[in-house]
Amino acid sequence: MIEALSVVLSQAQAPTGSPALEPQAAAAIAVGLAAIATGYAQRGIGSAAVGAVAEDSDNLVSGLIFTAIPETLIIIAFVTIFIVG
Amino acid sequence: MSATGSSNPEYVNARVRSRRAALFAEEDYRKLVRMGTGEIARYMEETEYETEMNDLGARHSGVDLIEFALNRNLAKHFEDLLEWADGQLHALIANYLRKFDAWNAKTAIRGVYSGAGADDIEGDFIRAGEFDDRLLNALANAGSIEEIVELLDGTIFEEGLGAAFEEFDEAGVLVPLENAIDKTFYEHLLDDVNTITLSQNSPKGLYVEVLQAEIDFRNIRNALRLSRTGTDLDPEEYYIEGGKLFKQGQLRQLVGSFDDLVEYIRESPYGEDLSAGLAELESAESLSTFEMALDAALLEYSDTLSHSHPISICSALSYILAKEREIENVRAIARGREVGLSVEEIEAELVVI
Repeated sequence: MIEALSVVLSQAQAPTGSPALEPQAAAAIAVGLAAIATGYAQRGIGSAAVGAVAEDSDNLVSGLIFTAIPETLIIIAFVTIFIVG
Repeated sequence: MSATGSSNPEYVNARVRSRRAALFAEEDYRKLVRMGTGEIARYMEETEYETEMNDLGARHSGVDLIEFALNRNLAKHFEDLLEWADGQLHALIANYLRKFDAWNAKTAIRGVYSGAGADDIEGDFIRAGEFDDRLLNALANAGSIEEIVELLDGTIFEEGLGAAFEEFDEAGVLVPLENAIDKTFYEHLLDDVNTITLSQNSPKGLYVEVLQAEIDFRNIRNALRLSRTGTDLDPEEYYIEGGKLFKQGQLRQLVGSFDDLVEYIRESPYGEDLSAGLAELESAESLSTFEMALDAALLEYSDTLSHSHPISICSALSYILAKEREIENVRAIARGREVGLSVEEIEAELVVI
């Protein structure tokens, strides 16, 4: 995210006619935002999963699976890097 | 853990739901009502209540054992609830659990009034509220009711108790004291919540709705009892503020006529849920069936809310209500079996949804 911002800033200062946001920079922002979203989703699911496991350790496997599901967000966002690159 | 920081309803919800699932179901009750007290104790040993049963088994037996184990288990679960919850969730749950402070205060007053020993009184306390062990200990050891009233200075209960004590001093009956405690508890339930600006669909709005239903039901119950017995007590003294159904001053007029009161309840928003109970009320002699219907309606209502809004306090609230109900059910079964009531009679006293 910080890297992406520095790219944006340096682009903004460049006097040439290139776009303000390079495709790579946009992809970096996309991945960063997706990572934040994943974290936010996992916050709720994770705490619920820990609660369920604390009550009954049989829930460990399903708890892990549900906690991992929002990872798909960041994995799909990751694809943008290859599309752009 | 504490009332600071942000709420963690996800965590509390997951834990509470798991415990909710472990409560006795209908078939457990069907088995329990056919057992003797010894068998009930053994049955409980194989469930949730194992630790309490083992701890207390050496010192008590029979119905006492069951009752003490139930109380202790209840306190344990509700303390856990407070331990898990953070932020506003903690504050709201703590507010609601003051119910047990009210219970403990009433237990102490009744105990001292009837001359029970400090040990007996302490055994009946449910340590799930805000009162700490020192205060409870002092309450149990108090020599007179005046002393209890003094001990309760500084808690939320002090405001109504002063006047109630004077009344008690004159008349010598406990009703004004107990009434003052109940009233204070219910009127403080909605302390931290601004009911006017609240959106009806927010989690907090729903919390308020459950509480308002509880207050309304309490008012209905008091009104029906007063109306049925036809006493000349002033119904306004028993009126609890904060509900939606009755307004201040309305009760006096309604209590005068039993039929009007029933009709008023039938046309209220709760009419549909309570219609079966109301129909029975008109034909039956006793109020108890209707009071059971009130309890069941409240349980069902809080359950529905907890399903439609899992990320809110509603699931914790519905768990508290359901757990309390379980304790009361098991106690009713054990006491009923002890005095030799028939299975049907006991079943009529149970609230199972």
